[in-house]
Amino acid sequence: MRRESDPNDLAEAMRQGALLANPALSRFDPMRRILVHDDFARGHCGWAQLVGNYEDTLDTMLPGYAQHTSAMLSTLAHWDAGSHGAVDSSYALKIATRPVLGAQNVAIKRLTMRHRGPIRFEAYVTYKPEASELRLGDTDVRSFGFLFDLQGGDKDADAARVMPHIRFLNADENGSAQRWQFKRSTTPFKPIGTENKTATHYHLAPKGWEDLAGGDQRLCYNEIATKVNWLYIVFDFDLQSMSALQFRCNDRVFDMSGFEPMVIPAMPNLWDMLNFAFFVEANADKRAFLYVDSVCISGDF
Amino acid sequence: MLPENITAILSRNEHWDGFAASEPYEAGWAREVVIFVRALKAPVGPQPIARVEMSPDGIHWMDEGSRIAMPTQKDGLACARVAHFGNFLRVAATFEEGSEARVLVTLHAKA
Repeated sequence: MRRESDPNDLAEAMRQGALLANPALSRFDPMRRILVHDDFARGHCGWAQLVGNYEDTLDTMLPGYAQHTSAMLSTLAHWDAGSHGAVDSSYALKIATRPVLGAQNVAIKRLTMRHRGPIRFEAYVTYKPEASELRLGDTDVRSFGFLFDLQGGDKDADAARVMPHIRFLNADENGSAQRWQFKRSTTPFKPIGTENKTATHYHLAPKGWEDLAGGDQRLCYNEIATKVNWLYIVFDFDLQSMSALQFRCNDRVFDMSGFEPMVIPAMPNLWDMLNFAFFVEANADKRAFLYVDSVCISGDF
Repeated sequence: MLPENITAILSRNEHWDGFAASEPYEAGWAREVVIFVRALKAPVGPQPIARVEMSPDGIHWMDEGSRIAMPTQKDGLACARVAHFGNFLRVAATFEEGSEARVLVTLHAKA
C-alpha cells in the first residue's frame, strides 16, 4: 500500500506540482494523502478542549485536566499594536493557560486510523505570554509542545496505547532553557467512579521529561511581548512500528534515535485511536499562549 | 459555507466566591453570543447578579451591561444575550462573604 516518493513517477510529479502551485499547501511538505489541513480561517477545524475523564461527578476529574479551557480563534490582538494576524489569514487557534505558575492547557483533534504506516504532522505555531507587563517575558512561558495519543487495532496481538510527546522547554525555575524534550513516563492509572470502565492518568505531569539528544535550539522570540514570529514544526511517526521517524523545527533536524513514546497497556475502548494535541504551560503567574496558524497531517498511503 | 458557530466551556465545575470571573475568551469573529450559567451544586448564601464584561486587550475589563442573575438552586440555569462586544468577553460576579457557587459557564457564539 505504501507508495515511495519517486519524482520520476508521473503521478508523484503531478502531486508535487499541484502542492507547490497551491499557496495554501506549498509551505507544507505532506506525504501522499492529506488527512487534515486546518488553517483556522474556516473555524475551529475540530480542535477541541481536552476534557478529563470523570464518572458520576466532575469532582473525580484530575486537577491537571480540570484546569483546561476551550481554545479560541484569535487575531493575536495586542493592546499596543492591534491584531498581529496569522501567516496568511487573520486567524489562528489560541490555546491559553490560566494565569498560574505551572498551568497548562491542551487542544485535541480525535480521529481513528485507516492505515498503519508513516504519518506526518506539520504545523506553523508561535508562543507568547500575555502582554500584561511592559517587559519581554521571555521566560514566562514554560513550554509548548504536541503529542499523539494512539492505540493499536482490536485484533492486534500486542496492542498498546502509545503516546509520543515532544515539547520545547522554553524556561523553567532556573530561567531560560530552550531545548526540545520528550517524555516516556506517565503517572499511575487511577480508576474513576464505580463501574470499572474508566480510568485516568496525567500524562502531562511536569516530571519525567528528558532532553532530546542535541535538542537545544534558540528560537525567534522577538524583542517585545507583542511581536511574534511563526515557527515550522514537522514530526513523522510510523503507526505500524509505533516509532518516531523524524522531528524538525525550522532549519534544524533532530536525531530521534534516543526518542521513545509513552507505552502503556491498551485500554478497552480506544482501538485504532489517532489523536493529536497541542499544549502550552505557564512559567509565571501569567497566561501563556500557544497560537497555531495551520496544521497539515498526512499519511503515506 | 455555513457560518461558524461554537460552544466554548469558559468555567467547568469552578468554585466561585468573593470576586470570581471566567477566563478571557476571544470571539471577535462572532456577531452574537449567548452565555449560560448553570449551578452544578446547590448554591450557598445569597447569589449575586453577574456581569458580562468586555475588554480591548483581554487584560483591562469593563462592564458590557448585560446581567445574569446567578442561579439559586442546583441545576438552575441563567443566560445573557450579547452582541456588539468587539473581541474579548468574560463573566464576572462578586459574592458577599459566606456566599458561593459551583458553576458551569458556557459561551455559544455565532458568526
